[in-house]
Amino acid sequence: MTELLVEPFRLPYMQRALLEVLLLGALAGVVGVFVVLRRLAFVSDALTHTIFPGVVIAHLLDRSLLLGALAFGVLTAVLLTGITSSSRRVGADAALAILLTSFFSLGVVLVSRTRTYTADLTVFLFGRVLAVDRADLLQTLALAAVVAGTLWALRKELVLRAFDPDGAAAMGYRTAALDLVLNLLIALVVVAAVKAVGTVLVVALIVVPAAAARLLADRVATTAVLACALGALGGWLGLAASYEVSVDHGVRLASGATIVVVLVALFALAAAAAPLRRRRRGPGNPRGVARWIRSARAAAR
Amino acid sequence: MDQVREGGGAVSDLLGTFSDGFARRALLEAVMVGGLCGVVGVHVLLRRLPFFTMALGHATFPGVVLAALLGVNLFLGATLFGAVVVVVVALLGARERVDETSAIGVTLSGAFALGVLLLSAQAGFSRDLAAYLVGSIVTVQRGDLVTTAVAGAAVLGVLAVLHKELVLGAFDRGGLAALGYPVLALDVAMLLLVEVTLVTSIPAVGTILAVALIVAPAAAARLWTERLGATMAVAAGLGIASGVIGLAVSQHWRVAAGATIALVAAGVFAVSLLAAPRHGLLARVRARRQPAAAAGPG
Repeated sequence: MTELLVEPFRLPYMQRALLEVLLLGALAGVVGVFVVLRRLAFVSDALTHTIFPGVVIAHLLDRSLLLGALAFGVLTAVLLTGITSSSRRVGADAALAILLTSFFSLGVVLVSRTRTYTADLTVFLFGRVLAVDRADLLQTLALAAVVAGTLWALRKELVLRAFDPDGAAAMGYRTAALDLVLNLLIALVVVAAVKAVGTVLVVALIVVPAAAARLLADRVATTAVLACALGALGGWLGLAASYEVSVDHGVRLASGATIVVVLVALFALAAAAAPLRRRRRGPGNPRGVARWIRSARAAAR
Repeated sequence: MDQVREGGGAVSDLLGTFSDGFARRALLEAVMVGGLCGVVGVHVLLRRLPFFTMALGHATFPGVVLAALLGVNLFLGATLFGAVVVVVVALLGARERVDETSAIGVTLSGAFALGVLLLSAQAGFSRDLAAYLVGSIVTVQRGDLVTTAVAGAAVLGVLAVLHKELVLGAFDRGGLAALGYPVLALDVAMLLLVEVTLVTSIPAVGTILAVALIVAPAAAARLWTERLGATMAVAAGLGIASGVIGLAVSQHWRVAAGATIALVAAGVFAVSLLAAPRHGLLARVRARRQPAAAAGPG
């Protein structure tokens, strides 16, 4: 077992990849707790697509990709906060979907002018964790420090905002400002993770460990620690698995996707274990499709 | 076509790009997909399903890969896998501790990662994938056109037959159940219609941008009209217009077609958001300046 889990990481590039994945897994796990509490999974999905044009423009202008992504991440975070708090006739989710697809299309249109079109698109979408270098690691570390510091400083306000928005507003907190901060933090995590796991799979890193942790823990602090641990564990196991299969069995497995599949397996384990831990169950408050099913069941009786 | 070209003007120039056979096929596909997505989009918005649609778009991906590996029809693979995902999301979201947004997020990324994993084990990884994500309307074949026409007609037919029930279900589920309709069956039918629409649009605009074509024209149409029938008609019109204009622009300037169509759709929405008569931003600002002239309270 140790051979499988430790041996691959004797290679320097695998060590860097492991360090990056552990950092990102832990970071995304913590931010994910707030994403899950506030039901912002769609917002994080939108952010992963909207930074694409930033990356493309930076690539075309030969500037730092990180800066391009950062600029568009901040722009999106601001637009998202504005959209979700203003338009009533359109609906927040419709506005989000339009913002997501139009920014993404802008990126595709720009990148389709270059010659290495599909290859560029693929790297952006799926990342290359094995190509992470020392500078990337330092950037991730810096972004992680900023995000973790902000979360720690604002933890009480953000939790209050998540559970009792009216209470937070009544106590004089500016909820719009808090929303903007959280959206910005999500944007930072997405930007940090994009080179390693790619844009589409960042959502998994943010949502899946946190959703699994929430199945197993009640307190926010415990959930955060658990999400952190699950994110890092998934990264480690996924990386080891993709290395093992690719090298010893000759089947190439994309490392980012393997990490996500491992995370989803951990989530499935958590979902299976949760009912054992939690015998007592309230009526809950399901939404959307789940609500349809419940009300249909109730109507059938 | 030479005379048209000599006639000058941007419009005739753009129309001139449709003179080739492949371009005419692309045009037909854009018209059909645009109209279909517009109509279905109104239902998607009524039921607040944009994120679900997005997830479904990603989640059909492993179905496509599996079908390609097994040599089965791609549409069939995508549709079957999408149906599995519908069930998983519904079951996960029904649990107390997992809200539906997170359930969709987990399912979306899990299914998508599975697709990437399957595909990465194959050769020729990036090309197929990019085509799947952003579409490639100019390579649409006669067979694709037939599939789109048949699937589109089927979806629109079911929507027309079940119109009353589906609309009532979106607004008042209790009422629908009280009238004795099978609510759950109707819900699943609606989700399957969305899924078939998505799968049909994938050859043209790809999975991510199909969401744009479903959501944007419908959201724009809701700003222009109040009545549902009119909204659907306007949405279909805007969808078709986005498809045709986007295709023409992309052909003219040689940029990715699917993405240009999505951008045009978003542009149509942005214009509507500004200029629509009652719900547009300009109209709202004007109403605030002249409270006496504004209709209704507030």
